[in-house]
Amino acid sequence: MRSIEFSKRTTKEILRDPLSYIFCLGFPLIMLIIMTVVDRSIPKEAGMTIFKIQSLAPGMAVFGLTFVMLFTCIQFSKDRSTAFLTRLYASPMKSVDYILGYTVPSIILALIQIAITYVCSFVVAAIIGESLKPLNVLLSIVYLFPSILLYLGFGLLFGGLLNDKSAPGVCSIVITLSCMVGGIWMDVDSMGSAIKNLSHSLPFYHGMKAVRMAVLGEPGDALKPLLITLAYATVIYILAIIVMRGKMKKDVR
Amino acid sequence: MEEEFAIVLKDLRKEFGSKVAVNNISFNIKKGKLFSLLGVNGAGKTTTIRMLMGLSKPTSGEAQVMGHSILTDLSAVKQISNFSPQETSVAPNLTVRENLEFFAKIYGADKEKANGLVKDMIEKFSLGEVENSKAKTLSGGWQRRLSIAMALISSPEVLFLDEPTLGLDVLARRELWHVIEKLKGSMTIVLTTHYMEEAEALSDEIAIMVGGEIKAMGTPDEIKQITGKENLEEAFISIAEGTEK
Repeated sequence: MRSIEFSKRTTKEILRDPLSYIFCLGFPLIMLIIMTVVDRSIPKEAGMTIFKIQSLAPGMAVFGLTFVMLFTCIQFSKDRSTAFLTRLYASPMKSVDYILGYTVPSIILALIQIAITYVCSFVVAAIIGESLKPLNVLLSIVYLFPSILLYLGFGLLFGGLLNDKSAPGVCSIVITLSCMVGGIWMDVDSMGSAIKNLSHSLPFYHGMKAVRMAVLGEPGDALKPLLITLAYATVIYILAIIVMRGKMKKDVR
Repeated sequence: MEEEFAIVLKDLRKEFGSKVAVNNISFNIKKGKLFSLLGVNGAGKTTTIRMLMGLSKPTSGEAQVMGHSILTDLSAVKQISNFSPQETSVAPNLTVRENLEFFAKIYGADKEKANGLVKDMIEKFSLGEVENSKAKTLSGGWQRRLSIAMALISSPEVLFLDEPTLGLDVLARRELWHVIEKLKGSMTIVLTTHYMEEAEALSDEIAIMVGGEIKAMGTPDEIKQITGKENLEEAFISIAEGTEK
C-alpha cells in the first residue's frame, strides 16, 4: 500500500517535469525521423544497415531508456538533497517501499516510452515503404526487460551515490557509451578490435544486440547477449539496492 | 507517574566520532504541552529531536515516546508521531491536495479516510485557495504551512517542529504562530527555534541546550527568574554564555 502511494508520487513527479517529455520522448522520436532521412540519403552500395528502420526502431527504444535512467537518477538524488526522504524516514515506510517506489514508476515509464517509440516506428516504416513485423516487435519488448533493469539500476546507483548536481553528468557518460560503443548509433562490429573489445566488455552492446535480433526476426541469436545483459543488469540493480539501503542507514546514523 | 509524560529521556547521548553532540541528557515532557528546545547552532537541539523520531540512533541512553521505546519499538513511535523539518520538504510537483493525500495514505489512511483528513487540513490551515496549486509554486510561508499540515494529517500524538518559522517574514511567522497556538493542548508539541520571542509566545516549557547539555529548564517566567533577566533573550544569552547569577 505504502509502496503504491510512493510509486504514484514518484510517477507524478517525473511526468510533471516537462524535460522528461523532451528527453524521454521528443528527443528519441526526432532522432528516429532524422536518422531515417539520413538513411534515405546513404547509397545502397554503402551496405550500411544501422539506420534501417528494423535496426533504428530498437535503437531508439534503447536510446529512450537511457533518459529514463537519467530521470530516475535525478529524481532520487533530488529527493535526497531536499530532505524529502529524511521526512519520509520518520514515517512508517520501510526500505522495500522506497525501493519499489522508485523501481515501479521507472519500469512503467520505460514501457510507455518503448510503446510510443514503436508506434512511431510503424508509422515511419509505413511512410517510407518498409515493414516491421508486429510479432518480432512484441518479442523485442520482452527482450528489452534486461536493458530496462540495467538502466534503472544505473539510475538508482548514481542517484544514491551522487548529488543532484553531479548525477546528470555521470549519467551522460553512460548515455554516450550506450550510443557509441553500445551500438545505438554505430555499427560496432565493423570497427577495429580495440573498440570492439571495449564494446563487448560493457553491457550496453549486448542489450542492444538482443533487442535488434528480436526485431530482425533472429531471436535465437539474441539468447546469448540477452543472458549477458541480464547478468550485468542483475548485478547493477542489486548494487543499487545495496547503495540505497546503505545511504538510508547512513542518513539515520 | 510516567503516564503523565509524553516523552521521557534518560541519559540520552549522541557522539559523532570524537564529538559529543548530545551529552547524557535526561528530562520529561508532559502530555499536551508545547515544549521548546532552545540553543545556538550546534547546541544539539536537532540531534535530540532526530533521536526521538528515529532519524538518528543514540550512542547510549534511552527515550520513550508515549511509552514506546525509541530503541526497541521504533515503528510504534513512527506511527504516533510526525515531523515538520527545518527545510520545507514537500513534493514540489504535487499539488497541495496531493501532498496531503500522500502523507495521509503513507500513515495508513484508506482513500475515504484520506479524503476526509485532507478536507479537514485544508479547512484548518486555510489552504483552500491553493489546494490545486503545485507545492513548488507556493511562497515560503504557504509551503511551511503545508509542511505542518502534512505533519498533522496523521493525527499524531506527538508533533516535532524543527525551526518551523526559519526564513519566514514577520507576517508569515506571526500567522504560523497562530496556527501552532491553535494546536496547543490537542497534542504534545516539541519545537526547536532560534527565535526567543517565538519560544516565549508559544511555549509551556523551555529547555536551553548548550554544548549538548541542558543548562536550564522551566516555564519562560521561571527561566527569566533563574537568570534575573527581564526578557527571555537576555536570559538565554546569560545561560548560553554561562553568566547566569
